[in-house]
Amino acid sequence: MIDEWYPVGLFSQLDAVGRRTALMGEPIDVARDAEGNAKVTGGNGRALPACVRYGHVWSSLGTPQKALFAIPEADQPGRRFVDVGVVRVRCSPLRAVENFLDIAHFPFVHTDLLGAEPHTEVQNYKVEIREDEVWATQVKFYQPQAAKSASGGITTEYIYRVPAPTCSVLYKTCPPRPSEWDVITLFVQPLAEDLCDVWPWMALFDDTTSMTDLIHFQQTIFLQDRSILENQIPRLLPLDPGMEIPTRADLTSVAYRRWLKRRNYTYGAQLVAQ
Amino acid sequence: MPARIPAGSIALWRTQSGRVTASADRCPHRGMRLSHGFVRGEALSCIYHGWSYGQTGECLRIPAHPGLTPPETIRVAAHAVEEAWGVIWVAVGETTAEPPRFEGFVPLRSLTAHADLATLKAATGATAGTAGLDWPAPGAPEIRLLSVPQEGYETLIHVLVPGDSSPAQRIAASRAAETLRRTAEDIQAKGLAPWSTTR
Repeated sequence: MIDEWYPVGLFSQLDAVGRRTALMGEPIDVARDAEGNAKVTGGNGRALPACVRYGHVWSSLGTPQKALFAIPEADQPGRRFVDVGVVRVRCSPLRAVENFLDIAHFPFVHTDLLGAEPHTEVQNYKVEIREDEVWATQVKFYQPQAAKSASGGITTEYIYRVPAPTCSVLYKTCPPRPSEWDVITLFVQPLAEDLCDVWPWMALFDDTTSMTDLIHFQQTIFLQDRSILENQIPRLLPLDPGMEIPTRADLTSVAYRRWLKRRNYTYGAQLVAQ
Repeated sequence: MPARIPAGSIALWRTQSGRVTASADRCPHRGMRLSHGFVRGEALSCIYHGWSYGQTGECLRIPAHPGLTPPETIRVAAHAVEEAWGVIWVAVGETTAEPPRFEGFVPLRSLTAHADLATLKAATGATAGTAGLDWPAPGAPEIRLLSVPQEGYETLIHVLVPGDSSPAQRIAASRAAETLRRTAEDIQAKGLAPWSTTR
């Protein structure tokens, strides 16, 4: 678990002084060095691995065995890249990711934005493991205002990817460009097992909406999610069946929990039902 | 609304037809607190995914699957509830006993004190009545206090006064309860209550 890459800050906001934050319980410092590179220092002063990708600085307490996962759309011309910022949530990093994978809550938590009654039904969709990532495809949902660039309600199609235990990449119908997908990601920094910083990031085709409005829209969504995430019991994500009851609409969540368990990824998880 | 009984946190809600229900404060689907939910008609719905529950705890509807009749195994525990003279009583476990009745009394207000029950009793010098405390508050009408331990050292106090109390007497009773809270919190803060339970 310590060998994974984790987001630890926005590269655009780094300066020489840097910022003090934490990674899995250890205090760390993230700064920009004299050459302009990101520098991450652990609690005992040791240099930690660092890379800059998708607007964020990534680091690890251990030794990452492979490069950070790829998002090919991040290199596609014409997209706008949006550093949404950070939302601190008192919950397990895994609960934050699972909530991101869930669509059935849209009408109740993101009312009149990402969903609205009576359009609550979740159609069947597909879930599979592709190259050791969780993928959910053909996910469709009716949305009153799917994006800042959408005018009026549309049925939005989603593809979800979980390329790392605390990260998810969402591909979503792009209202101004039907042949392309908007990319919205959720990068979660585990501060502790029950506390995380959530860093959403976007790569969109939207030439009209102001950056402020794009950020504001996503922050609104994530603040609505926070009111849920901080009130789930238990705070940790139960990986064993029995404690919570999934339905067909929760197939992505079921696959995600199984995938975590198979990888023995237990940071932020609860293994035995209590 | 959320409420606390010795068995833990509960979601206390009133149906449209006026019936009060005390449900366990956790939706079995994804663990969300049901006290954050909303009431429509005779059912309580979870705010996360809209799963709705009836007064006996059975799951009535799963909005993600409108055509599905939820299996009977999906349910939340519900506690027995009685309403008497403006006070809602929740039973922990099975009981056949009637809740205490404070005939002629009306609820005035509820307040939370950062003090445990033993400290509170010490601060009042009150005697234990049939339920709660009969408190000869200075300068106020005869007051009944109902106290419910909360998390940590907190105690929720419900203040009852005789139904025929004048506005001035009610104000006096309210102020007396605030004074009592301050006194109890001072004792608790100074640790002058060696008999209080340590947790």
